[in-house]
Amino acid sequence: MLHMADAVFLALAVMTIGSAIAALEVRSLIYGSIALMGTLGGIAGFFLLLDSPFVAMFQIAVYIGSIAVLILFTVMLVRRQLIFIKIEDPRRRYAGIGLMLVMMLALGAVILASGIKSIQTDEPPVDFREIGEDFLIYYWPALVLMALILASSVIGALTLARREDITNEQHNA
Amino acid sequence: MSSLAPKFRFSYFIKSILDNGFWAVILLTLAGIPLVQVLLFYLELPVLDDKLLSPYLAFTILADPSGQIPLLKSFIQTDFFRIAMFPGFGFAALLAAGTIFVERKMLAKLQLRVGPFYCGKIEGILQLMSDGIKLLTKEIIIPARADKPIFWAAPVLFVATAAAFVALIPAAGGGWVVADVDVGLLAVFAVIGFFPVITVLSSWSANSKFPFIGGIRALHQMVSFEIPLILSVLGVVILTGTLNLTEIVESQSTYWWIIFLPIGAIVFFIAMLAELERIPFDLPEAESEIVAGWLTEFSGMMYGLVQLGSYLKLYAFAALFVVLFLGGWHGPQVWPPFPQEIIEKGIEMGPINARFPGLPLLDQQMLNDVLWFVIKVVGVIFFILLPRGVFPRIRIDLLLHIGWYKLIGLAFVNIFIALGLIYAGVLGPEGIL
Repeated sequence: MLHMADAVFLALAVMTIGSAIAALEVRSLIYGSIALMGTLGGIAGFFLLLDSPFVAMFQIAVYIGSIAVLILFTVMLVRRQLIFIKIEDPRRRYAGIGLMLVMMLALGAVILASGIKSIQTDEPPVDFREIGEDFLIYYWPALVLMALILASSVIGALTLARREDITNEQHNA
Repeated sequence: MSSLAPKFRFSYFIKSILDNGFWAVILLTLAGIPLVQVLLFYLELPVLDDKLLSPYLAFTILADPSGQIPLLKSFIQTDFFRIAMFPGFGFAALLAAGTIFVERKMLAKLQLRVGPFYCGKIEGILQLMSDGIKLLTKEIIIPARADKPIFWAAPVLFVATAAAFVALIPAAGGGWVVADVDVGLLAVFAVIGFFPVITVLSSWSANSKFPFIGGIRALHQMVSFEIPLILSVLGVVILTGTLNLTEIVESQSTYWWIIFLPIGAIVFFIAMLAELERIPFDLPEAESEIVAGWLTEFSGMMYGLVQLGSYLKLYAFAALFVVLFLGGWHGPQVWPPFPQEIIEKGIEMGPINARFPGLPLLDQQMLNDVLWFVIKVVGVIFFILLPRGVFPRIRIDLLLHIGWYKLIGLAFVNIFIALGLIYAGVLGPEGIL
């Protein structure tokens, strides 16, 4: 009996893997990056399926909304001929496929060896507020570290914005 | 014999009518009736007064007006009504259409022009309709060597994304929202993230210079202003402790958050103007420099769809501002209660006494909520439109400077104000207020 969740899982898996292959194989760089967005969106779909909309929304906002846009932007500004010196070596492709199979077998072996045979599907989803509380109580050093890294990166961005200002003044003088 | 139809024979005429009738009957019996039956099998029909709405009952209600109000009531409760009418697409599109007309008329008044004037008897009130018909009938021209799939998909995706944004906005208490998501605010930001992608893809696919420049500008602008936009609402999230938009509104029943977080509201408003590409941040569509920016190559209804999408987005952003900072639908009770005598006695028109069981159609609280929500949204939209008549366009380096430097700094100040309010014991779970 195929459940609704199974069907959705299969569809998402096909979409994710299919668009990942497309992202690698499509000749047009723009279509490749669109396919990459499909892959990232499929992963967001997996998170939704796992009852964690919080992570799914962040996946969409960060990966599709920022990182995919960055890739798209870079691709559009680059002239295609300059970076596309075709090296059509079939051995590369077979080596890549072989490496992928080895990785998948290794991962599968690890998962099978870990003893996880089944998962509870009727448990209530983890509330993101609980995750927040855990972060504040048990994992506070990690939280502080993340906050410091983020704050330093934001300050770095602000400094860069400020430097543009200084160069403008120099330009005017 | 008339010259219009020289080969006219009455028998041919009869034959053609009989032919048409024959095919109509054949198609109806072979395809129409089975289709209706299949639909009836899968359609979940509502239950009215413990009676299932069978097709027989539906036809009875058609003939008997007194049964129609329960039917309407059950229709209002369906998901279809929420998505298509209120508070979903129809409501937003109506407000968007009103916005377009008011914008043109108001700008004209600000600049001492008349604006739309000749279409329709009063003040060009039918201008919008004629514009719509014009757009529908115009030819769609695709530029040479454009990337056709992306170019066709972009306007549709733009409207779809704007509609998804609208779907997340609650418009009245008691669950009047299309998608009541637990992480609503995050979902809003996830949806907003799609706009730069669609913009830059459509501008690239047009294979033209002006759209591409406009698209790159739109990308810069939207991506850099998303950061202050997200940071400025963090204050509200800290104070309410929830991401659900309905709960955020309900937390403001006594005080609006704009009273405590005015800096956050200002930052949000400025970032919103930039996300909406409105003057003074309309660099992506700067008509005096790059024709119409990323919209240059769109023609006919494709342009109409992009316009619809951008005004839906404008409504959604204004409504989000109302939900986050202006207390959503909270307001004093001003909607009059439904007259009791109509419920009890019906409407008397001379000898006829029309009774409508099932009245009132919508409860008083919901109508009051909608009234206040619409008033606030219209006010915010007015303040979004106003700079267009007043300000010039700003330079792109100033724009990025404002976004990355001033607004982010102010957003952090706002977060510290919110934290200070909680730690000082003014607001929050154990606060005085």
